[in-house]
Amino acid sequence: MLPFLLKSEFHFPREKLITGDKIMINFKNVGKVYPNGTVGLKDVNLTINDGEFIAIIGRSGAGKSTLIRAINKMHSVTSGTLLVDDVDVRTIDGKQLRKLRRKIGMIFQSFNLVTRTTVIKNVLTGFVPDLPFYRSIFGIFPQEMKIKALEALDKVGILDKAYIRVDQLSGGQQQRVALARTLAQNPKVILADEPVAALDPVTAKQVMDDFLHINQEMGITVLINIHHVELALEYATRVIGIKEGQIIYDGPSNKVDDDVLSQIYGQKDGNDEPIR
Amino acid sequence: MKLTIAEKLSQEPKLWRKQLIIVFICLLLLIWSSTALKVQKTDGSGIAVALGIFKGLVHPTTSLLFGMGKTGVAYLLLETMCIALMGTIVGAIFAIPISFISSFNIVPKWLGIFGRVFIMAIRTIPAFVYGLMFIMVTGPGPFAGLLTMSLCSVGMLSKMFIEAIEDLDKGILESLDAQGCTFFQKIRYGIIPQLLPSFASTLIYRFDMNLRDATVLGLVGAGGIGAPLIFAMSSYRWNDVGAILIGLVVLVLIVEALSGKLRTKLMRG
Amino acid sequence: MMSLYDKIFKPKVYTLSNGKQVSQKRSRMPVILILTVAAILISAKVTGFSLTVLVSRISYFFVMLKDMFPPDLSYMARVWAPLWDTIKMSLLGSVIGALLCIPFALLASTNLVKNKVVTAIVKFMFSLVRTLPTLVAALIATYIFGLGTLAGTVAIAVFTFAYCGKILYENIETVEMGSYEALGALGCHPLSCIRYSILPQVLPTYLSTVLFCFEGNVRYASILGYVGAGGLGLILNEKIGWREYDRVGMILIALFITVVVIESLSQWLRSKLS
Repeated sequence: MLPFLLKSEFHFPREKLITGDKIMINFKNVGKVYPNGTVGLKDVNLTINDGEFIAIIGRSGAGKSTLIRAINKMHSVTSGTLLVDDVDVRTIDGKQLRKLRRKIGMIFQSFNLVTRTTVIKNVLTGFVPDLPFYRSIFGIFPQEMKIKALEALDKVGILDKAYIRVDQLSGGQQQRVALARTLAQNPKVILADEPVAALDPVTAKQVMDDFLHINQEMGITVLINIHHVELALEYATRVIGIKEGQIIYDGPSNKVDDDVLSQIYGQKDGNDEPIR
Repeated sequence: MKLTIAEKLSQEPKLWRKQLIIVFICLLLLIWSSTALKVQKTDGSGIAVALGIFKGLVHPTTSLLFGMGKTGVAYLLLETMCIALMGTIVGAIFAIPISFISSFNIVPKWLGIFGRVFIMAIRTIPAFVYGLMFIMVTGPGPFAGLLTMSLCSVGMLSKMFIEAIEDLDKGILESLDAQGCTFFQKIRYGIIPQLLPSFASTLIYRFDMNLRDATVLGLVGAGGIGAPLIFAMSSYRWNDVGAILIGLVVLVLIVEALSGKLRTKLMRG
Repeated sequence: MMSLYDKIFKPKVYTLSNGKQVSQKRSRMPVILILTVAAILISAKVTGFSLTVLVSRISYFFVMLKDMFPPDLSYMARVWAPLWDTIKMSLLGSVIGALLCIPFALLASTNLVKNKVVTAIVKFMFSLVRTLPTLVAALIATYIFGLGTLAGTVAIAVFTFAYCGKILYENIETVEMGSYEALGALGCHPLSCIRYSILPQVLPTYLSTVLFCFEGNVRYASILGYVGAGGLGLILNEKIGWREYDRVGMILIALFITVVVIESLSQWLRSKLS
């Protein structure tokens, strides 16, 4: 069946659980239809509680991205109610939306860093919405923010690279910078859209370890879109399977077997095949 | 090596001193340059002029704009275009030998530097100086304008020709040599096919710019649309000014669009 | 139109020894040559181009040139003030134009502003302003602002605005949008997203463009004096009118040295930016 993979060692100091507002995400009959008629999401009903570690799996184009990006309104949904922290995402915009996004961190497959600047400057951009106007124009960050940024870099293990330009780092290191940037935001939820797809297997595991640590030690809800089923099942406690815009599996990761996988992917062994 | 956060913070590159100095210098320069400004007109007549031009643009003298005679905008634009065309061509005739003399892969270094200094000197002399000088030679009119244009073009044409020449792929010349070609055959089949597309593209680009500069020549009495413009302005005939400006802008826009298309076609082959 | 040409001049068909046929379209060169030659002939007629006149009277040109050397070195003292004026005009005008073009370039970028009507209008506005020759703008400016350096500064600012604006928005449209997206996702205001993701990417090219524009503006500024907009052009025009060619030579040399210094400085700065 599935190979048993050894987890690598954590190398972070233990942290107290951060208490505070808990965010719940609630999809009620959510649907998305594109202007040209294509159906992105169909009849999605989902409740995500505070502190969960969820992996979303499915074929390319099944709707994983759409689902995750609907939560912070990077994509808009066309029907249903999407409650995030008791606010219907469909109804908010502008300043309210920015306030909501402050609490939600996002990690991208292509890292989305400003490659021409240094690592620390990238992490500091996570604080920009909290800066007063005159500071944000000139990019003058107060000492405490610089220290917090360095601490975030330390948490993901790349403190020594703080003043190096991003384009001189490897893929895995860059994704960790992105993680540090998200941590600087102090989010309650982290959405990750194929965070390890561009990384080699060893680095991918390291990054997944970081996610796990963030989830367990800091109590942040983590939602990951992921292609690699083995990684998904190893790290997540709950798995959501999407096929053609609909949720067809929502349950504990240890209950995912070959039959479930073949339903989600339409194959016997769960390997992702290119769409013919 | 395990660093503490405090240690790392102390390693932060202290760029702010350098940046502050640069900002200070820039501010000083700006303040210094604004000392040159002398506000002349405080009587509001300037605003009247601006309004007048605006009104003129909206109600241009249609007889002037569409008139077909020698004083009509259409003929003047034609004259302007011809000046620009001839100026570009004559400029090219001068520029080609000068650029070959200035290319380091063709002539020894001292000669190349001499050529480039020569080009720079030609480029620095303002257009109207040439204009006035040529008027002494040919009398006022479009002929003087065209000669002025050609000298003005030499600067940019040479610069871009030199770039094309220095980009030459010598390998082709080698293979033609190996086949037993004569000197002129090598030029015809080796050098010219490489240079022709970028030369032509450069010429078209320069023609575009010359068109805009040619309007200026009228100001020195060297033909083109500049003279009627200045007459109309000094007589405050804003409707005429509007007509001329509109005609000019339309022409330049059209030529720009056409030349852009031509140049992409040349480059893509 | 090309297909019409092919219908009139049919492609040449080559038959190979093994029976295969290859058709080659007739070269466009004859048409291009004829059109070009015709254009040149018409232009020569319209402009009154005459090789004979040129050859017979070109000596006058060189006589004037000869009179400029040796230049009147003592005149240099009177050249300083207009020279500084010229440099100041170009500096201030370039800076004003370069700063003003930024908000408009942002509005013209299709990847930042989704409204196609807005971007099209702003781009057209840039094109329009760019077609205006600097000297014409200076002329108009002297009527609006009066004679003197203010008019010249305005004219240079206008040209710089259009030139740097076009290059800036073309640059913005090729920039990588990933980090912009990421900053929006973490709750940044769109202006902050621009400041922290787009600005670092376009800044080097922008500064380089502004420096390059400034280089050219110094040369333009010397011309503007001709319409009374201040600077070297004023005294240059005067001295030519008075036929004091040795003084003209002095002015030109001063201008030449200035331009060489500024261009070298600017090229050095620009190489440091990339």
